[in-house]
Amino acid sequence: MSDALFKQPLRLRLASAGFLSLWCLIAAFPIVWIAVLSFKEPIDSFAQNPLNVIMGPTTLSNGKGLSLIDVVFGIATLFGAYRFATNILSPRVKAYSPQGYLAFGWIVGAATFALGFVFIFTIILPAITGFLNNILGPLGTPIIGHTLQHYYAVWVDNAFYENFINSLIVTAGVTTISLTVGTLAGYGLARAGTMLAFWILIIALVFRALPHSVLVAGYLPFFINSREILEPLFGTSAPTLYGQPWAVIAVLVAINQPFTIWMLRSFFQNIPAELDEAARVDGCTHFQAFRWVIMPVMWPGVITTGLFSFLLAYNDFLVTSLLLDAQNQTMVPAITGYFNRETTTTDQVEAVAAAVSITAPLFLLVMIFQRQIVSGLTAGAVKG
Amino acid sequence: MNKKTFAAFVGPSVAMMLLFIALPLATVFMQSFHVTIPVTDTVEIETCTPGFAGQTCVTKIETRPVFDAAGNPTTTTKFVGFGSYQKVLRLGDAAAALAKSSWHDLMLIDFWKALRFTVTFTLITLPLVLGVGLAIALAVNNATKAMKGPIIFVSLLPFIITPVIGALSIRWLFIGDGILTAGLEWYLERDLSLFAQAWTLEILMLFYRVWHVAPFAFVVFYAGLQTVNQDTIESAIIDGASRFERLRFVIIPHIMPLVVFVSLIHLMDSYRVFEEIVGFSSQAHVISLQWLTYDLLSPDDSGNRSISRASASAMLTMLGIVLILAPLLRRTWQDFTKGRI
Amino acid sequence: MRTILKTALFAGAMSLLSGGASAACDFNNTSTVKSLSAGFEAWKAVTSAMAECGNVEAELDQEFRKKQPDAFAASPSLYHVGGVANSTAVPLIDAGTIRPLDDLVAKHGGQLKPNQLVRIDGKIMAIAMMVNAQHLMYRNDILSDLGIAEPQTYEQVLAAAEKIKAAGVVDYPLGGTFKSGWNLAEEFVNMYMGYDGEFFNSDLSPSINNANGVAALEMMKALSAYMDPEYLVSDSTYVQQQFQQGKIAMANLWASRAAAMDNADESQVVGKVTMSAAPTVAGGSTPASTLWWDGIVIASNISDADAENAFKVAMEGIDTEMVKANNDAAVWLVDGYEPTATAAGAFATASNGAKPYPASKQMSLMHTALGNGIAAFLTGEKGAAQALADIEADYTTAAKEAGVL
Repeated sequence: MSDALFKQPLRLRLASAGFLSLWCLIAAFPIVWIAVLSFKEPIDSFAQNPLNVIMGPTTLSNGKGLSLIDVVFGIATLFGAYRFATNILSPRVKAYSPQGYLAFGWIVGAATFALGFVFIFTIILPAITGFLNNILGPLGTPIIGHTLQHYYAVWVDNAFYENFINSLIVTAGVTTISLTVGTLAGYGLARAGTMLAFWILIIALVFRALPHSVLVAGYLPFFINSREILEPLFGTSAPTLYGQPWAVIAVLVAINQPFTIWMLRSFFQNIPAELDEAARVDGCTHFQAFRWVIMPVMWPGVITTGLFSFLLAYNDFLVTSLLLDAQNQTMVPAITGYFNRETTTTDQVEAVAAAVSITAPLFLLVMIFQRQIVSGLTAGAVKG
Repeated sequence: MNKKTFAAFVGPSVAMMLLFIALPLATVFMQSFHVTIPVTDTVEIETCTPGFAGQTCVTKIETRPVFDAAGNPTTTTKFVGFGSYQKVLRLGDAAAALAKSSWHDLMLIDFWKALRFTVTFTLITLPLVLGVGLAIALAVNNATKAMKGPIIFVSLLPFIITPVIGALSIRWLFIGDGILTAGLEWYLERDLSLFAQAWTLEILMLFYRVWHVAPFAFVVFYAGLQTVNQDTIESAIIDGASRFERLRFVIIPHIMPLVVFVSLIHLMDSYRVFEEIVGFSSQAHVISLQWLTYDLLSPDDSGNRSISRASASAMLTMLGIVLILAPLLRRTWQDFTKGRI
Repeated sequence: MRTILKTALFAGAMSLLSGGASAACDFNNTSTVKSLSAGFEAWKAVTSAMAECGNVEAELDQEFRKKQPDAFAASPSLYHVGGVANSTAVPLIDAGTIRPLDDLVAKHGGQLKPNQLVRIDGKIMAIAMMVNAQHLMYRNDILSDLGIAEPQTYEQVLAAAEKIKAAGVVDYPLGGTFKSGWNLAEEFVNMYMGYDGEFFNSDLSPSINNANGVAALEMMKALSAYMDPEYLVSDSTYVQQQFQQGKIAMANLWASRAAAMDNADESQVVGKVTMSAAPTVAGGSTPASTLWWDGIVIASNISDADAENAFKVAMEGIDTEMVKANNDAAVWLVDGYEPTATAAGAFATASNGAKPYPASKQMSLMHTALGNGIAAFLTGEKGAAQALADIEADYTTAAKEAGVL
């Protein structure tokens, strides 16, 4: 095929580039903006003049600021991390993962990357720039107001790490169980082709459309009184479900099932049925065929579906805020706590810092898995 | 695959859906036909509350619940048929408004007001999301290889960000004299208050939803564009098809199943619009159906939940979703009977 | 794993504390005490004082009113201690989920003042710790520059607002906690009480659709004309920020917000805000404001031993020591409180004869109906009489479902 055929006129290329730049600006601006104001003292954060919000004169005059060196090094590190995540991490993970354990390899890879990123950004980078700032004179004087005090308040004083751990538990639980249960069901539905399978799918579709507040209303009284209700069945060891992370995991898995089984079913349909039929002719049961023939080739679809499960669990607000108590609260409902207090302006900037903290892991996630999302979708998970 | 194997594969998933979705749904359905009322009697009670200097005591007539032997308040539950539905729909008032053909009067009834917003919101965002998503996908597909990665990264951000935080971050840009409101005021040379009337709030909510969902449409369409058969395009070019014709007759038919998929997901999600109402605190001006249900369900200041009315409103919302999905469900059914699914 | 981590951290924290603050709690609490309360400054102070006794899990949530009735009705109750105000105590008393405290007060409440004991039908149901009220705050520099005397009535507030608007010294002359829902209803209740209005007939049917109700609504609309047009989303925090950033000159704001005006970290108007009594309206003598109290209650669905223990811990939370450390966080009722200038407005409002908020089940239902219905009048969708009639209809529907009518 000749490239000349696909050559585009300059006008089109310019229009397309212009549109993309505009879109990227709109997409990123709100997020970048809240990140900027979370690094300033309250008076700067809510200043009327946007330039004051960016430059932070009050913060700077309090002796907290970034020099040109800091800015340059910070951007360079961010860019390096991005290149590493997108170009280097993926082949490494594939090379080092044992056969059939690709998903596990990704988890280890992503965790290592995240820890490394935090380590470099909070410990190594300040050490280097601190040293350079001292010897470089004018280049090393702070020019932009910048303070980490709100992050310190959120993570250390308010023990946000507890909410972070809760988020990790809930998210990991939902993703794993949702995928395990959903993969089996998706495979069964893809290979059955019976009337029953069809109706399960249609009913799942209607369930997918239900407003969540309706469901949660159904759970709340039962969760709170579960000890009384379950006592005849379990005796005195009957649990109070309200506030239990595993109960919330079960609810979120159920809510997430319709989407998961639809995605995985269409993915499995694109794996030729001849593959497992051949295995069955060789004397395998359905489960053996699934284990030895399908599992090795299903990972792209599972990773993509897994990312959607991750997002659902990590971002959920309605279910977690109503069914978890403060000790087990995940991060998203926890930040509304900041807004629901009779807040001071400092509280509000802390809430913004917490919001940015919640967004940061998602940032890393997209960095690492961006290619897998596209290739997983291309591989057929959405062919209808 | 025999029935037993099928059950083993599908069983866990179906069991979870039955337990955590179908069962609550069934109870909601039952509750919408019943009303539970606490039994009370009126007594005269003296209440002493602290003041700044000393206590104030007042004696008032109060309603007190009647407690049973175990110390729990007694209640009675009675069957009310469609009574709760009637309280939500207020058909009498709605008919009167229609008789006068007064749109304004109809919009004073919460349910119809919420329905109006929910339906317009769903129908306006759908083409915008599809259009913007497709435009970004085509533009990214056009971009040079080195730029594709970073652009996809930035484009995905609005989709993955936690919805509550996304809505708040847009809100902060516009509320009061937020930076973008200030910018608009400077540009238009007039004072603006975007949170003070319904239509500006609705535009903000539409903007937020398109901003949040268009990246999902984009990434799905972009994945679809990767599988367009290059030979077909090439022969179309040789046949002299213009750029637009190629888009219209080759690319769009190819990704049509994806358009249906994204529409389906989007219809379901935007019909239960809720976060926007909370995030932009628009309830004084604009409400949605799910917000109405949520509001009836949350205990009021006396600790009462209007469970029956909330259930009725929830069932009506569900009815609406099934109606909207009906054409798509019919299509799926036809595909199935033709053996294509 | 988490418990180990927590215990280790806790042990570390305790060993640090044991140097200086060993006197913080009189006894070492061994069984778990859980509390659920609102999350404003005063509650932060009280719960952290409770936590010094050990084994305290405090949940601070401004949406606590939505959780409390269910959580206390569970058996055993999910919380031992609850933080309530006038109106939020009502659903708990109605459901019988909080216990009378007479025995416990006799045993462990020697330091409590009689004023702190909330008695309902002769029994002590709650221990109050602070009072609160909305009252006028104004920028003394602006008012004296323009030669305006301190407004005593809402008519004077309107006149002052007109002058300030004409002078153009601030963005908006007035601020107001007009956020639709609870806040807006509270503003109406304040104003209607200023007109000496009655909310109910003797049979508990509603009686707000009258001349006083219409006048109160019209006054609110007149005030809103001088506010930021986005007043329907403006809550206490928003008004407080408008003050701090110098955007407004006057507002009827909660006493618990007064200290924030002089917080140099956030405020650009330190020392420029004066606290004064809530204004009267239409020649009346009662200030258009209501008095509130906040306090603690103990669950009834727990064992007597647990309840006694929880009560002892709660008493540590509202002791003199805590008040001395957080003097300006609230207008405390506890021994040891020294009123400062920030509390002047609240005291003036009370001594001018403001009435307590008339908390009761029917009032809670009315408050909800008001919160949902008033916005339609302010936005111009409905006339005053129609808005009030619709609110009465809403109240009637809800009251029938709640068994009040």
